[in-house]
Amino acid sequence: MLLVGVGWLALVLFLCSCSSIPPAQRVSPLGEEGAFPPRYSIVFIIHGDDGYLYHDVRGDAYRADEKTLAKAKTVAQRNPQAEVFIFHERRRRHFLLLFPRRDGKFYYYRHGRLLAEESYWRDQGDSRFDPEVELYHRYRAQGRPDLIKFFLYFGHEIPEFGGAGYDASYSKRTFTVDDLADGLKHITGDSTKLDLIVLSTCFNGTPHTIAALAPYGRYIIASPDNLHLSYFDLDSFEQLDVGLPDGDVSAFAKTFAGHAFDRLTEDMQTAVTVAVYDVDRVRGFLDAVESVYDQALTTLKGQTPATIEHFDCADDPAFIRPGMSEGVDVFYRPPRFGRWKHNQSHSGWECWRRREQPSVTSQPLEPIQK
Amino acid sequence: MLGRTAFRFIVIMFVMVYAGIALGQDGLQKYFNDASVKVKATTDPSQKREILNTSFEKMSKALGKVQSSPLVSRDDRAGIELFKATLQEKQDELAGLNGYQRVSDEQLDAFSDYVVQDMEQADQKITISLVAALLIIIIIILLVA
Repeated sequence: MLLVGVGWLALVLFLCSCSSIPPAQRVSPLGEEGAFPPRYSIVFIIHGDDGYLYHDVRGDAYRADEKTLAKAKTVAQRNPQAEVFIFHERRRRHFLLLFPRRDGKFYYYRHGRLLAEESYWRDQGDSRFDPEVELYHRYRAQGRPDLIKFFLYFGHEIPEFGGAGYDASYSKRTFTVDDLADGLKHITGDSTKLDLIVLSTCFNGTPHTIAALAPYGRYIIASPDNLHLSYFDLDSFEQLDVGLPDGDVSAFAKTFAGHAFDRLTEDMQTAVTVAVYDVDRVRGFLDAVESVYDQALTTLKGQTPATIEHFDCADDPAFIRPGMSEGVDVFYRPPRFGRWKHNQSHSGWECWRRREQPSVTSQPLEPIQK
Repeated sequence: MLGRTAFRFIVIMFVMVYAGIALGQDGLQKYFNDASVKVKATTDPSQKREILNTSFEKMSKALGKVQSSPLVSRDDRAGIELFKATLQEKQDELAGLNGYQRVSDEQLDAFSDYVVQDMEQADQKITISLVAALLIIIIIILLVA
C-alpha cells in the first residue's frame, strides 16, 4: 500500500516537473500597471549554478547569487520609471534525486511593481540565452525607442575559449563570451545599442571580451583583474531618476564604477580593479591588438587552466600601443598582501600567457614591483 | 516492511548526496574562514600566527595526500599543484621567507581576511573537481580528529 502511494506521488511529481506549461505567476496584467511608459530598461542575469559562497570580515557566510538577487529586486522596486528583468540561473536540482526541477527563475518588474514571476528551464534552445531572450521579448515594453538600457551580468569569469564546466549542473555544456555576445545580439535585435553593459565577474576586462560585446553596448564596466564575489555594489542603480537625471550615461558609468570601487576597497584585502570602457574610443586599441591577442588565445587553447594565467597587457610590449589608455577609466588598488602588493597601476586591459611552473619548494620569490 | 526500508534508504541517500555536494563545494572556503574567525578571536600575535600556520600545514598535507590518490584526474593534480603553490606563498609571507616581507603583528587579522578572500574570487582558478574537493575536506577532518 505504501509503495503504491509513493508510486502515485512520484508519478504526479514527474508529470508536474516535466510540464511544458510554465508555472507563471502573473501578479497583475500587463497594460494595467500604469499609464506612462518606462524610461529605463534594466536586465540582470545572475549566475548561481556553481560555488558562490563567500564570507564577510565578521565571518558570516553569504551566497553571492542570492545576495545579488535581493539587491536587484530592491533596484527594481525603487525605480518607478523602469522595467526590470531579473534572471536567476540556479543549480539544477532533483526532487527525491529523480525528478528535475526548473533551474531558472525570472522576475519582471515595471514601475516598481512585480508583474510576473516565472520558473523556466535553462537548457532549452540552441543558444545559451534562448529562454532568457524569449522571456525578454515577451514582456518588454513596446514603443519606447528612447529607453535608456542597462545589462548587468553577475557570475564567475566568463571564459574566452573552452567554457565547459561553467555550470555545475551541466558539466559538458559550454559558455563563452561569444555566447554572451550572441544573447545580447538577440536582446538588442535591430534596435539601438545598450547604453551600459556591466560584467560583475573576474578577468573580463580583456581586449577580446570588450571587442565581442562592443557591437551591443556604448559603455562597458568590467574588472580586468580578480573581483571578489561580493561583486560591484548596486546602490547607484537605486533611484535612477536621481542618479541619472540628464541621461548622461558616461558620467553615470564612472560614478557607478567609483562607488563600487570604494565599497570593495572598504573590506577587501585582495586587489580591486574596476574599469569603464568607452566603446567608441577604445576601438583603435582593440583593432591594433586584435591579431596578437587572438594569436595568444589560439596558442593557449587546449591548455589546462592551471597552466595559464592572466597578466596586465601593459607588461608585454606586444600589447603596448600609443592609444592603450584612450577611452579607459581605471580604478585600481593593489592587494594588501602577496606578490603584487607593490603594483601601483593597471592599464585596464588583461591578457593571457603560459604560467611558469609552480614551485612549492625552494625557489626564492622576489615580490614584484612595477 | 520492505516499503518502509526502501523509503528510508531513498531518504538517506538523498540527504547524503546533497550533504556531500555541499561539503565538497563549500568546505574549502569554510575551512579558511574558520581559521580567520579564530585568528580574530585571540589577541596574542603568536597564537594568531600559529593558527594560520597550522591551517596552511593541514591543508598542504591534505592536498598532498589527495594529489597522490588514484581517484583524482590529471587536471585535478595540476589544479592541486597550483593550489599548493599559492598556499606556500602565503605561508612564506606570514613567516617572511623567500623574499617576502614578514606580515607584521598588527596586520595578522587583515592577512587572515586576505587568505579567505583570495579563495573567494569570482574566477575559477582553483580548478579542482568536486570529488577532489570532497577528498580534501574528508582528509582535513581526519587530520583534525
